[in-house]
Amino acid sequence: MSDEPGDAATAAEVSEEPGFGDRLAALQDSELAVVGIAAVGVLVFPLVFNNLLNGYTQLATLVLVWGIFALGFDILLGYTGLLSFGHALFWGGAAYAAGIFSASVSGQPVLVILFGTLVAVLMAWIVGFLSLRRGGIYFAILTLTFGQMAFYLSSSPLAFLTNGENGFTSVSIAPLFGVLDLHGSLGGPLGMLPGNTLYLFVGAVTVLSIALANRILKSPYGIVFKAIRENESRAEFVGLDVWRYKLMAFVISALFAGISGSLFTIEGNYVPLSSLYWTTSGEVVIMTVLGGVGSLFGPLFGAAVYLYIEFIVSGMDVVGPFWHLILGLVFVIVVVLFPDGIWGGITAIRDYVGGDR
Amino acid sequence: MSLLSQVLTILLNGLQQGAIYVLLAVGLSIILGTLKFVNFAHGALYLLGAYLGLFITTEIQLTNGMLPEWGITTFGIGLGFLAALVVVPIVTFFVGLAMERFVAQPFYDRPDTDQILVTFGLAVIFQEALRALIGGDSQSLPQPGWASGPIALPIIGNFPRWRLGVIVITAVLVLFVYALVEYTDFGLIVRAGTMDSEMVRLLGIRLDRPYLVVFGIGAALAGVAGVVGGPLANVNPNIGTEQLVPAFLTVVIGGVGKIEGAVLAGLLLGTLQVVLIQTGFAAWNRVGIYVLAALILLVRPQGLLGSEVSVE
Repeated sequence: MSDEPGDAATAAEVSEEPGFGDRLAALQDSELAVVGIAAVGVLVFPLVFNNLLNGYTQLATLVLVWGIFALGFDILLGYTGLLSFGHALFWGGAAYAAGIFSASVSGQPVLVILFGTLVAVLMAWIVGFLSLRRGGIYFAILTLTFGQMAFYLSSSPLAFLTNGENGFTSVSIAPLFGVLDLHGSLGGPLGMLPGNTLYLFVGAVTVLSIALANRILKSPYGIVFKAIRENESRAEFVGLDVWRYKLMAFVISALFAGISGSLFTIEGNYVPLSSLYWTTSGEVVIMTVLGGVGSLFGPLFGAAVYLYIEFIVSGMDVVGPFWHLILGLVFVIVVVLFPDGIWGGITAIRDYVGGDR
Repeated sequence: MSLLSQVLTILLNGLQQGAIYVLLAVGLSIILGTLKFVNFAHGALYLLGAYLGLFITTEIQLTNGMLPEWGITTFGIGLGFLAALVVVPIVTFFVGLAMERFVAQPFYDRPDTDQILVTFGLAVIFQEALRALIGGDSQSLPQPGWASGPIALPIIGNFPRWRLGVIVITAVLVLFVYALVEYTDFGLIVRAGTMDSEMVRLLGIRLDRPYLVVFGIGAALAGVAGVVGGPLANVNPNIGTEQLVPAFLTVVIGGVGKIEGAVLAGLLLGTLQVVLIQTGFAAWNRVGIYVLAALILLVRPQGLLGSEVSVE
């Protein structure tokens, strides 16, 4: 928020009359504006999604849940340049932790999320510490290894905790702050708002997550992530402890995976074993890349597109059975031709309209 | 049963269990070591091999032509399996060539994360296209008639003939690739390219064609692995992604680019699994290989036989 006047001044210096694109860019730099846009987006999303696109509120909720996961993943892949294939561990791990916590300690949603996230962060600290010894493909394979280890652990040796193949079913979520039943409908004036209680709760967490991600990425700390992505050895030469920053990027991305995983448990009241399988890691990779790496809102778009194809297109007559194939094709096309993803495309159009380029 | 025969049985079973990992890993390893290309679609080639093998062994009926005149009317189990063992590697070899030309080549200059992404996407396409064409049900690829039933071995006693067949086929193929890479001019160029491709190019040797062939061989090995591994478990669209992770582990544990390393690591992982299953820790057998892999990589990040220089 503080740097808004400064940016406006720079824009004014470049051209007397700031263009539409400039003003939009300046707006994006303001923290309050980002949070505001996110909040409005979250509120408007189900209206557009349900009415124009044949969606439904439960799916809109799921989009936000996965969107948080992808948002965190992008901090690692898009901003720091590290590709992890083991994030299912933190997402599914948090989902299980949240479920077990709700069943045996407390079903208070806020505590459930805090506990799930804490578990994800602790696991990420260990896994990141061990995996970051190597870069590039070795990092991808090591994270994959730890993820699969957790999957097979949960499937049988730890089945007494996780309920093995059947998934964890005894989730019990209490009303929020003891009054608001998350799975009930809204009463009173709140009934005017789109979506149900659960959607609004998840939406509030989403806005907080976006604010947090924005704060981290715009801070000097987050800018180091980009420096590492651009040129790791140069970052090392200017005296930055690259390894520490990479580990923190890994832990931070797992933090979001943890929030998302816990929300997933609250949303569905169930944790499937497949939440730990490496294809779940693949899904978040696809979402993030589809939406656009290295942008704040891109991954959320990616999650929306992915889940829309998974749940809506898959129900269509002709193309339905091929939804995964379609997704694979779109993904490959994006990787080959549009490295900036869908969000990159949108920004390109915005810049074009704004007359910046 | 004497201790010696027990140990030998476990080793032989481990060899068989690890054989599929080895077949996949050798292909992955030479591609990764030589072309510096990460092929996440390697499991998809295994899947393709398995389905192609299934198709050839069970579907092809001959109604006219020379073969029926000789009395061969169907490539049933038995003969069809031999046919699959010959046809599948040829087909997957050419699929590999196409992949090198159209997928790998445009990505040599892009970061390895992009390579992983595009091959991962390709794997999804392969898998889902096969699912759409054939369906998602598990099908069984029967053991070939000439290799079913037990065989009596000295010291060990009865051992399933097909499991021995898997070991023999793997050994022959891996020795063939090893000889090709170590003792031929082609192998010399490939190895030199691995060490310093720029220098090789400066010497006036074109690396494009050797690289193309290396990718083809790797793909062919994955295809054979699909045929050979088919009868050991059911064939369904998910087996590619299931095999990919242990195969990658085998490569990384053994040391990238090292054929001996892949064999050693495959044997190690296979034996560990067999030991865990036979000592009553069956539930831990999958976890075990990942723990072992993680431990080895923490102590020797470059892999058991990998050299320090080739790191990264």
